[in-house]
Amino acid sequence: MKNEQFNNRDVSDSYFLVDIPDYPTDGWGKFTRVVKRTFRGELFVGLWVVLREMIKFDIHTVQYPLEKMPIGPRYRAVHEMKRLWESGTERCIGCGLCEKICISNCIQMDTKIDENSRKEVSEYSINLGRCIFCGYCAEVCPELAITHGGRYENGSEQREHFVMYEDMLTPIDALKAGKQLEFEGFGAITPHEDERVKKTPLSY
Amino acid sequence: MNNLINFKIDGISVEAKKGETILTVARRHDIYIPTMCYISKTTPCASCRMCVVEAKGVEGFVLSCNTPPTQGIEITTNTAELEKERTNIMKLYDVNHPLECGVCDKSGECDLQNKTLEFGVSSQNFTARDQSRKIEDWGLISYDPSLCILCEKCVHVCNEVIGDDAIDVKFGGYSSTIIPKNADTLDCTFCGECIAVCPVGALISSDFKYSANAWELTSIPATCAHCSAGCPLEYETKYSGIDNGSESIFRVKNNFEFTSLCGAGRFGFDFDNHAPKSENAFTNAVTAVKGAKAIRFSSMITNEEAHTLELLKEKLGIKLFNEDARKFQDFMNSYSSISGKKHHSGSLDAIKQADAVIVIGSRISTDNPGVRYAITTARKHNGAKIVYAHPIEDTLLKNTATQFLKYEVGTEEGVLALIADAILKEADLSDRERAFFNDLDLGYLAAESNIGDEEIALMMKSFARAKNKVLVVGNDLMAHERSRNIAKLSAMIEKYSPFSLVVIPSEVNTLGVSLINSLDVDEEMADNVVGYNEKGNFVISSLEFANLSIPSLNQQEGTFVSIDNRVLPTNVALSFDGYTLNDIALACGVKTKNTVEYTKMLSSASGFKNREFDSLENFLSPYGDDNRGYLLDEVTCAMNGELEEIGDLPEFNGTVIYHSNPVLQFNAYTNKTKQLEKDNTLKGSAQFAAAARISDGDKIEISFGSRVIQREFKLDNSLKGTVALNPTFDNRVDASRYRFEKSKIVRVIHE
Ligand code: SF4
Ligand code: SF4
Ligand code: SF4
Ligand code: SF4
Ligand code: SF4
Ligand code: FES
Repeated sequence: MKNEQFNNRDVSDSYFLVDIPDYPTDGWGKFTRVVKRTFRGELFVGLWVVLREMIKFDIHTVQYPLEKMPIGPRYRAVHEMKRLWESGTERCIGCGLCEKICISNCIQMDTKIDENSRKEVSEYSINLGRCIFCGYCAEVCPELAITHGGRYENGSEQREHFVMYEDMLTPIDALKAGKQLEFEGFGAITPHEDERVKKTPLSY
Repeated sequence: MNNLINFKIDGISVEAKKGETILTVARRHDIYIPTMCYISKTTPCASCRMCVVEAKGVEGFVLSCNTPPTQGIEITTNTAELEKERTNIMKLYDVNHPLECGVCDKSGECDLQNKTLEFGVSSQNFTARDQSRKIEDWGLISYDPSLCILCEKCVHVCNEVIGDDAIDVKFGGYSSTIIPKNADTLDCTFCGECIAVCPVGALISSDFKYSANAWELTSIPATCAHCSAGCPLEYETKYSGIDNGSESIFRVKNNFEFTSLCGAGRFGFDFDNHAPKSENAFTNAVTAVKGAKAIRFSSMITNEEAHTLELLKEKLGIKLFNEDARKFQDFMNSYSSISGKKHHSGSLDAIKQADAVIVIGSRISTDNPGVRYAITTARKHNGAKIVYAHPIEDTLLKNTATQFLKYEVGTEEGVLALIADAILKEADLSDRERAFFNDLDLGYLAAESNIGDEEIALMMKSFARAKNKVLVVGNDLMAHERSRNIAKLSAMIEKYSPFSLVVIPSEVNTLGVSLINSLDVDEEMADNVVGYNEKGNFVISSLEFANLSIPSLNQQEGTFVSIDNRVLPTNVALSFDGYTLNDIALACGVKTKNTVEYTKMLSSASGFKNREFDSLENFLSPYGDDNRGYLLDEVTCAMNGELEEIGDLPEFNGTVIYHSNPVLQFNAYTNKTKQLEKDNTLKGSAQFAAAARISDGDKIEISFGSRVIQREFKLDNSLKGTVALNPTFDNRVDASRYRFEKSKIVRVIHE
């Protein structure tokens, strides 16, 4: 093994601060900021568009958020973690392939051995601020455990926001109620898969 | 005389040396022959038959791993038949192999996975009724028999390299498994070497199991920081948790093809220091150092730290205390005064290649496992005669030592004189030196040390045909009050006989410190002593209870000098947010930006080459050549020493204790790790218990010298005699004392 990577001793942070003026702290400063932000010209451009559409009276807009467009089954929004239909156990075996394949490096997981000597996922998070919803994780998953779902609303106050394993996992009552949907996007099993499986010969 | 055998592999003319097999020659010429059970450091396991080749004029296939070539033979390594044979072997290996690569720890670095893909085995064509096989939990190691492919590598290393001989194959056709030898559960020194060599996920570290995947880990090449064998290892790191930005070490790996680790290196990796950074503490430290009369430091530091301390000494005119290294230095100076050179001639490799080895003054299997493994290798591979001279027998050497020379405690000087006398009988000594041996009172020495003529005669007889001989001296001798003369006697043996000499430095960098620092006798003054990883009025340390925290050895870059006289680099596995010795030195006016800039300044008068840290490599070649760091240059010294008359041999009566650590424990750092067992009981035989009037499980108070410590007593049936083993890793004893000690032991009674 070569040592080159250890020879760079520049440990200074590669982050730098963006040049933003300091936030005002005194009352007058705050007041002028509000005034400046409120009475900008662009405000009236927006208001005019709304007003124009209103007085035309032939609105085609979906009444979001009261009304939502149906999402195709192959849509790739926030991930879901599936359970096995029969037993209800979690499908994820903690193989780490999704973590490995993720091109935006947004999956992190910890695994450990559980009391039944099986590999168990102890922590699992996806940084949705980094995720590009490429679907590779769902495609690589050998257990059809991680899939994409239809929940596309992930507004957040900050760029980094995470979805955790528990949030993605099908709730057990939803599973019992038969509400778990199989994923049909890529990485899902193709129809007639059974016929293509090579069976292991058994001596008994 | 031409000893080379000329033959052809795949039409290429090659030469084999005596003892080489077709496979080793092929590998040397980069000709690929697939193997599943071969491992370079043991004799061939010959269990997989993957390595088959064809030889012209020979019926059937030949196993290349255990067949030496004959003159002129033509070998073919790749034909359609061979390919078919090998593919069939792979198909058999894959029968019922559980398809659990998804969770298996070996996935990504598994030989079975690789070869299955290489031979394109994508379905199972053979059948066998599968059996229920239980996963075994053997403490630090767990064994999953259904993953095991019975390659027998683990058994071979355990027996031939480690010397524990703790595991065996239980033959039974398809139900064969690996079992602890003659025991229900594994009771061994837990070196973990079997885990390392296992090509599949059958033998796995229990702690690591299922905690990370091979490809998520970053490997950092380093040098083990626990003993002077300086074994190469790789720390493997990963983020420690999803809600935590910091990294931690998950496991340690080694190049198991050629090197071995003991369990301390393999399982004792989490000794990193994580104290919060404190500017206040730093200011105090600088003040303390500036006002200090002396710095007391341990040998568990890098050469660069040692050099910095030396610079501080010059700058501030203070003293440097390090008793362990000072005693070693003293020993080596006396050695040099006879031998005329600075460094001992032997090395671990010399021991591995030896056919006669004497080990004296060390409980070797716990003091320096690296030496123990070298001895085991010599014993098993060259049939070497191993003489173990010590007052206490060691059951761990039962498969290795061929002769045990039990001498009386304290009589080391006499014993070495007897040995030197026998070895140098015919040697061409100067008149004065001859006179010294002629004047020896052999009768007195034999009587006091309890080593009979016949024992020495037997030893000499067993060495009669040996060519490569090594004398290994341990650190009982360094702390002995007659250590100077002992060193001279050792030097005599090295100088006038074919024996090479290995002196075991007691700590990881005792040797380095002894070459770099000018040390003063520890006056144990009451104040103004700064402790550097040691006791003091102000403690700068990578251990607990420090006034200023500094990084541990797995958080630092720098070099060590190993028992091989090799300067070995180590790298930063984990980051440390805080101050280092160099920062203190900077504040005291010593001007160097990075600690590793000192690497090239290490003194050439001690044999250091003036090489930059960044130019030091840390790897073994695919053929096993050691490319780590560099070897110290030999330095000639004045030969102005004279042998002194042997002093009166002391007597140690009553309850004697011997400062010696249990397996896998070395120092406060190994004591800090999670996985290593921390048994700090006093261990003694039934005879000792009777003499001290204590019994198993008693709380006792041990007084020796001016010290009194409390421990529990544990009866150890593998021990004999009236010497008990007193551990030092918990820092309750200063490990640089003479290791045998008269003691008074009383039972503590709690109301
Ligand atoms: S969708 Fe793509 S970017 Fe997002 S987590 Fe999966 S692999 Fe990573
Ligand atoms: S790839 Fe699938 S089974 Fe593997 S860790 Fe990711 S979610 Fe779990
Ligand atoms: S851990 Fe070491 S001593 Fe124990 S069985 Fe494995 S190879 Fe042998
Ligand atoms: S446990 Fe591993 S090394 Fe030992 S025989 Fe089985 S596969 Fe080989
Ligand atoms: S403690 Fe010594 S023998 Fe053990 S791995 Fe470290 S250097 Fe090697
Ligand atoms: S390598 Fe020759 S039999 Fe396995």
